[in-house]
Amino acid sequence: MNGGPALVSILRQGSNLIASVHTALDDSQLVRFEHDLVEQIGEHRSQGVIIDVAALDVIDSFAALTLRRIAEMARLSGARTVIVGIPPDVAFTMARLGMGTAEVPTALDLEEGLRLLAEHATGSHPTHSPSGAEPDW
Amino acid sequence: MVRRIVHARVGAHPSADDLVQETLTRVLAASATIEPGMLEPYAIVTARNVVASMWRDADRKRRNQHRVLDLSTPDAPETQIVQGEEQSAMATALARLSERERRTLLDHEVAGTDTRTLAEREGSSAGAVAAQLNRTRARLRVEYLLALEQVQPPTERCRPVLIALSSGDQRRQREVHAAQHLLECDPCARLSRPLLERGQQRDDTLRIPVTGDPDIVAARVAARELAARLRFGTSDLTLIATAVSEVCRNIVRFAGSGEVVVELLETPRRGIRVVARDGGPGIPDVERALDDGFSTYGGLGLGLPGARRLMDEFAIVSEAGHGTTVTMTKWERTNDG
Ligand SMILES: [Zn+2]
Repeated sequence: MNGGPALVSILRQGSNLIASVHTALDDSQLVRFEHDLVEQIGEHRSQGVIIDVAALDVIDSFAALTLRRIAEMARLSGARTVIVGIPPDVAFTMARLGMGTAEVPTALDLEEGLRLLAEHATGSHPTHSPSGAEPDW
Repeated sequence: MVRRIVHARVGAHPSADDLVQETLTRVLAASATIEPGMLEPYAIVTARNVVASMWRDADRKRRNQHRVLDLSTPDAPETQIVQGEEQSAMATALARLSERERRTLLDHEVAGTDTRTLAEREGSSAGAVAAQLNRTRARLRVEYLLALEQVQPPTERCRPVLIALSSGDQRRQREVHAAQHLLECDPCARLSRPLLERGQQRDDTLRIPVTGDPDIVAARVAARELAARLRFGTSDLTLIATAVSEVCRNIVRFAGSGEVVVELLETPRRGIRVVARDGGPGIPDVERALDDGFSTYGGLGLGLPGARRLMDEFAIVSEAGHGTTVTMTKWERTNDG
């Protein structure tokens, strides 16, 4: 990812990592993103991970699989993942595509995602996403 | 209507009826490729041009009569003059493009640089470069004709109208009221025939080579841009882009390389058609590949069956050793919502 603007950014905030995708990513860029993020989760012993995908033009089967795999790897490292910023049209398409896995919670935006992680950390609200309109992961 | 124009031009000339007949024949032959609103202006222009060409032919016959005797003499000098005129017209036309337009066009057409390489250089996408090339070609044709015919467009509307005709972009033609302008403007009416004939190779078709991961993104972005010209809502645009992404990935993963052609349709309804082709090994069992449970790569078999669910029509033809062609269509919804 040398030269040109960064495609993704991964920031640390307390015990959480906030990963933002800034543009459409192709498959190899997605794989690199997965690799970098999983590495940092281990390195920082993060408890929560937020992935902001608002800038992705589509979430097709490969992107969905990659996000699921990141969440699963994070879970194995003891971190909880929330996907934020899925636009309604992308959510609609994912549902039509038949990507129904209830494993990864989603939230409307960063703020709501952080609240979800905080609730989980205090054990008040274990798994459910507050926005009912989001697709099941 | 056509008859009236022909009569106005050639008066009571005995061959006027022949001209009407010829005009109507040409218009009918072209009617399948011309949208209803454009048919009448097209007929008018065709009538005018048939008349004009008849005059030209008569003129040429007259001029050539004295040469009948020395047919053995090659008429090279005249041909050379014509070529010289065409070359200087092309030079003038090229000079009227912007530096960037000219360089991109020449690199592509003359040096053979592909759109992907050009896109990398411009920091753009292959689809965007292809669309830009189409616009440049449309402008170049107009400027070339203007220079060749030594026409100074009489109004400010002339160039936009001619460029819209040249590109074959029917939406743009409606926006600039091309049909109306042709009725009002003689020079444009005269120049429009070669442009309309050219325009049948329309810029509502995109051809994107798919050879690697970046092309998957380029193809879906370009398909979305093209589809956005129709009245697709955001959800439909995302469905289309996602389906294109899936079929392109299929090409990259299983065939290595291929191409995707995205085309706007006017008939039987407005819509978009995506054809993804490769010359790869082919899919031995298509039924199974379309089965949701069938795992093709990385534990994921969602690609083709997913794309099928996203589009209105989906067909796949695959032959062992001869590659795979996926054709899928999404129709514009007749009412919003
Ligand atoms: Zn004009």
